[in-house]
Amino acid sequence: MSLPSLRKTSLLLGVCVPSLKKEASKFKIKRLELDPHLKMYFSKHEFIYAHDPNKQCKTGDIVLIESLRESLTKLISHRVKEIIYPYGDVTCPLTNKKVVGSKYREHIDAINKIYGERPGAFKYGEAPPRGWQEDKKDFSHAETYIKYHEDGTEQPYAV
Amino acid sequence: MSRVFSSIYEKQILLNLTRSYAFKSDLKIKWVRPEKIPCIKPEKSGDLSPFPNIDKSQYLVEFRKSKELETANDYVKRLFTLQFNSRKCTTNFFIHQSMEQVKRHEFDSGSIETKLARWTGYIRAWQELMQRFPKDKRLKVCLKELIDKRKKHLKYLRRWDYKKFEWILDQLNIVYKPPPSEFRWVTRRESLVKLTDKYCEDIRKTKLDEYKALLEAEQPAFLEEKIRTLEFIRDEQKDCGVEQTVSEEEIEDVRKQLEELKAKRTVTVEI
Repeated sequence: MSLPSLRKTSLLLGVCVPSLKKEASKFKIKRLELDPHLKMYFSKHEFIYAHDPNKQCKTGDIVLIESLRESLTKLISHRVKEIIYPYGDVTCPLTNKKVVGSKYREHIDAINKIYGERPGAFKYGEAPPRGWQEDKKDFSHAETYIKYHEDGTEQPYAV
Repeated sequence: MSRVFSSIYEKQILLNLTRSYAFKSDLKIKWVRPEKIPCIKPEKSGDLSPFPNIDKSQYLVEFRKSKELETANDYVKRLFTLQFNSRKCTTNFFIHQSMEQVKRHEFDSGSIETKLARWTGYIRAWQELMQRFPKDKRLKVCLKELIDKRKKHLKYLRRWDYKKFEWILDQLNIVYKPPPSEFRWVTRRESLVKLTDKYCEDIRKTKLDEYKALLEAEQPAFLEEKIRTLEFIRDEQKDCGVEQTVSEEEIEDVRKQLEELKAKRTVTVEI
């Protein structure tokens, strides 16, 4: 059973994946396709580019994207509406509190306060926003590849 | 009819004569196979700083705050320094130091940042040991497993708390690279295809840049010509007494554009 065209759907929820395109981000969209013989759904991934002039979306973010009336280019057919879950900085939708894994940040801080905080420890409030280690120590914003050629220059994205 | 068939037949023979396999390109692209780096090396594991040189005249970690040691004999004091103890004690000292750097509180020994600091300490100490004893296979296995474990937990930390992930990379001086989307062994043919694509892309880009520069060089001359033409049209229309289609503002705009272009040129030349 074929799915309806993705490009005509007005609102989509996608995961941002690394891309080096300027003013646009790439999104992976998961869709469920029904196999009529097995009566079972199988996931199918499609990729869509959305207009994002300031490159707000970072790799891994879960983002709501909206289709444009006319596609900007051949590739860009959508625009970013809202970043719902920034990767690694999740807010609980019920309580509006910040969450780490399965714990609230507040609780972790309270426990640390009882034991006595250390001056050199990590502080969430004082930490700079995500992206300050990009291209320095964190190379997850671009796709890596296996090194296939030695040309004497430094290849930061080669594994 | 037969002639038509024969001509088609000849073409097929010609096509068969050109070899598609084992085709050697005459492009001047040289492919160098990258040397294999063992997974336990710092280049692969992502450790930017090696095991440091630790001052061996310091006391052992357990006895640093001992009051009895302060009043003890000089010989006893020396016996409790790192110099007169096994290498393991120096490693422990380094691990303790790096854990102290990132601890949440005094009694913290199980949080993710302390775990990562402890593993990093072991990894750096063992990497140095591996250089001295390259045949130690058991250590090599342990080291590889620990590197992989650290990488796995860095991946988890990235998902839970991105800010802390970046902070810990900076504190421990580690590089994080995500795994590539596909694992294919490196082959000559595939690499050459990629390199040729790159080469063609470069040629296209240089040609486009050259053409762009050429067009930009023609811009001032064109604008001057435009001003002259516009002025000519305006004067002619005025003389003949026809409705004027060229306004003064239009000419001023073009003049301004020309001045801006010239100003930009002089700035770039000065730089």
